[in-house]
Amino acid sequence: MSDASLHRPGAARSARPASYRKPTEETPAARTALILLTVSGLAILVFAPLIVVFTEALADGWAAAIESLGNRDAQSAIRLTLTITAIAMPLNAVFGIAAAWLITKFDFRGKAFLITLIDLPFSVSPVVAGLCIVLLFGANSLIGGWLVAHDLPIVFAIPGIVLATVFVTFPFVARELIPVMTEQGRAEEEAALTLGASGWRVFHTVTLPNIRWALLYGTLLCTARAMGEFGAVAVVSGKIRGQTATMPITIEMLYNEYLSVAAFSMAALLTGFALLTLLLKTALELRHADALAANHRH
Amino acid sequence: MDIHIDEISKEFGVSRALHPVTLSIPSGTLVALLGPSGSGKTTLLRILGGLEFPTSGRVLFDGRDATGLSVQERRAGFVFQSYALFRHMTVFDNIAYGLAARPRAIRPNRTEIARRVTKLLDLIQLPDIGGRYPTQLSGGQRQRVALARALAIEPRMLLLDEPFGALDAKVRKELRQGLRDIHDETGLTTVFVTHDQDEAMELADLVVVMSMGRIEQIGRPLDIRERPATAFVRNFVSA
Amino acid sequence: MPGLGLSAGITLTMLSIVVLLPIGALLMQGAQFGLANIWDTVHRERVWAALFLSFRMALFAALFNLVFGVLLAWVLVRYRFPGRRIIDAAVDLPFALPTAVAGIALTALYAPNGVFGSLAQQIGWKIAYTQWGIFLALVFVGLPFVTRTVQPVIEEIDPEVEEASATLGASRSHTLRHVILPMLTPAALTGFALALARAVGEYGSVIFIAGNIPLRTEIAPLLIVIQLEEFNYDAAGAIGIAMLLMSFAMLLVINLIQIFSRKRIGHV
Repeated sequence: MSDASLHRPGAARSARPASYRKPTEETPAARTALILLTVSGLAILVFAPLIVVFTEALADGWAAAIESLGNRDAQSAIRLTLTITAIAMPLNAVFGIAAAWLITKFDFRGKAFLITLIDLPFSVSPVVAGLCIVLLFGANSLIGGWLVAHDLPIVFAIPGIVLATVFVTFPFVARELIPVMTEQGRAEEEAALTLGASGWRVFHTVTLPNIRWALLYGTLLCTARAMGEFGAVAVVSGKIRGQTATMPITIEMLYNEYLSVAAFSMAALLTGFALLTLLLKTALELRHADALAANHRH
Repeated sequence: MDIHIDEISKEFGVSRALHPVTLSIPSGTLVALLGPSGSGKTTLLRILGGLEFPTSGRVLFDGRDATGLSVQERRAGFVFQSYALFRHMTVFDNIAYGLAARPRAIRPNRTEIARRVTKLLDLIQLPDIGGRYPTQLSGGQRQRVALARALAIEPRMLLLDEPFGALDAKVRKELRQGLRDIHDETGLTTVFVTHDQDEAMELADLVVVMSMGRIEQIGRPLDIRERPATAFVRNFVSA
Repeated sequence: MPGLGLSAGITLTMLSIVVLLPIGALLMQGAQFGLANIWDTVHRERVWAALFLSFRMALFAALFNLVFGVLLAWVLVRYRFPGRRIIDAAVDLPFALPTAVAGIALTALYAPNGVFGSLAQQIGWKIAYTQWGIFLALVFVGLPFVTRTVQPVIEEIDPEVEEASATLGASRSHTLRHVILPMLTPAALTGFALALARAVGEYGSVIFIAGNIPLRTEIAPLLIVIQLEEFNYDAAGAIGIAMLLMSFAMLLVINLIQIFSRKRIGHV
């Protein structure tokens, strides 16, 4: 409070000292330091790797990068990854809806245990997941031996890759749907039932519209992970070029053969898919925040 | 401690929460800021507590300019509408918080802190709840703990934002008398915000009726009831 | 409510085929191999070193992410600065980016001829093909967990609680340490445990940058892959069971944290 301002009639006598800040805020210096620290940390850890994927892919120019994606093995890897994803996605969606319906619409003992089992794949190493599948369906196991004898191999073939992919993405859709469906309760479905609607009709006209964005969100997470799964697929696929080599497996093979441009071109394409899912996911968070699980609403 | 509010105004961006208001509160008075929501009463209370900063004007405590004092320096015991108790601390630790947060040089020792907390628990007539967590208390108990926590710092004044707002009618009545008793016992200058005219009239020595960021009338409860200064006051009080 | 049979049928069938039977097959394999043999396998110097390395590096990375993740969450929720939305979206990149891609990209950056690797080389710091490289890759994959669990908690902090602390005379740093931090702890620990669980089993992003030198930079999942390539199912199964036990232990810890914090803090 300066004396001069007191003597100027009509002047706004602002007494705000230079050091004033809200009691719930840090000092400007601390804020700036924290922002710089976290942003530069993210730049080094996350943005730099993202950028280097593209610069390495284009190290010999666009033509070389595009050409490396054009050969038969590369094409087969891309097709395989998209196929696997296209199979795994609906499987997980169906499972997610069924599990969420079971858990949120009915009361039964052992529900918490069931949820723990559904979450289990999150905490199991992908390599261990692959190992489990090999042990169950491999040629020298009971089931696997029978299947191979009947010319239905699972391990080192596409069904094994699908199984491994479904394993690592197993909880995604259910995890998204359970909180949303819990929040919405059972009243709407019950009302529709008393009006005489059939179970399917209730699901189709009442439940699905309420959960569609959460379902899409979970499916997106599942897709991103499915396309990029490496550890579990590495174990079960047998890495047969042109047959069971997915995009991530192909990246590894090319990289180990010192074909850097080819490896990073494939990586750039896969990153493109990943960025696309991330973009859609962020758009969902912004547009339909109220229809998603609470922890995605920021 | 007497409080003088000198031509305080507050703008949030383009909207004006307070037009310049002036108000003198003699030491030891129990004052109600009464008005509908949006009348600026809470803003005025927060400016007194140092939680908001006035756009212009001054606040004087005992004749000394206190406008630039930080929240911590004001030593105003503040009771929030939500009580804002620390959920991860026991009642004891909540009340001891202000003492334990002091710099080492002026921090009372452990036994002294315990002594004072026990005394405050007696004052609010809840001597046995020190070990409980806020989630285990009723609404009325929470309010009293918040009051004890504010008193623990030996405040120069007591500021309360809708202290009875979250309580049901019966508890509300009981706690009104509780606040009056504590005020009389401590002799602290006390300002509380309310939208309930019965509460203001029954409890306060001095009622300040506010509307649209202006003071409509300052007076004793009886004066306000019998001689409303403006049409707004007449309507609000008879409502 | 209709659909009990159908939803239970689908759920249990898929759960069995995808998760329970495969894990059961691993446990069966272990049972046939025998506890003593499993113990002997795990105790081999190379296996023990790999398991310990996986756990140790995961722990360090998760601790780093615990601190960095809480700071990042705070900055993203409380501060407004240009580019905040992009930064917020970028936190999910490690979830979205395939691990193999992350692995070769980090290696390209931190190898001695890479952009950051050559800088570090000048001060005599080797990152790629050392344990630092493993640490870096595990920090990358675990980055989002703590931030994403803590963010919603920060958003829900009642500003009056912080103000109350200030009116009681506490400095800002006292408020942060004694009021805010305890409120964030359960969520931060949950995120930490998730990041730890993920990092212990991580394979794709690590093997490119680790150098894979036995006893020094060879992680446990790689050892499983090596055993499988040699058709040594018993040894692979033994290591797998050891890792599965680590996962279960961490799952238990996560659940205990949640039960504990619900009891302590509850909901008002």
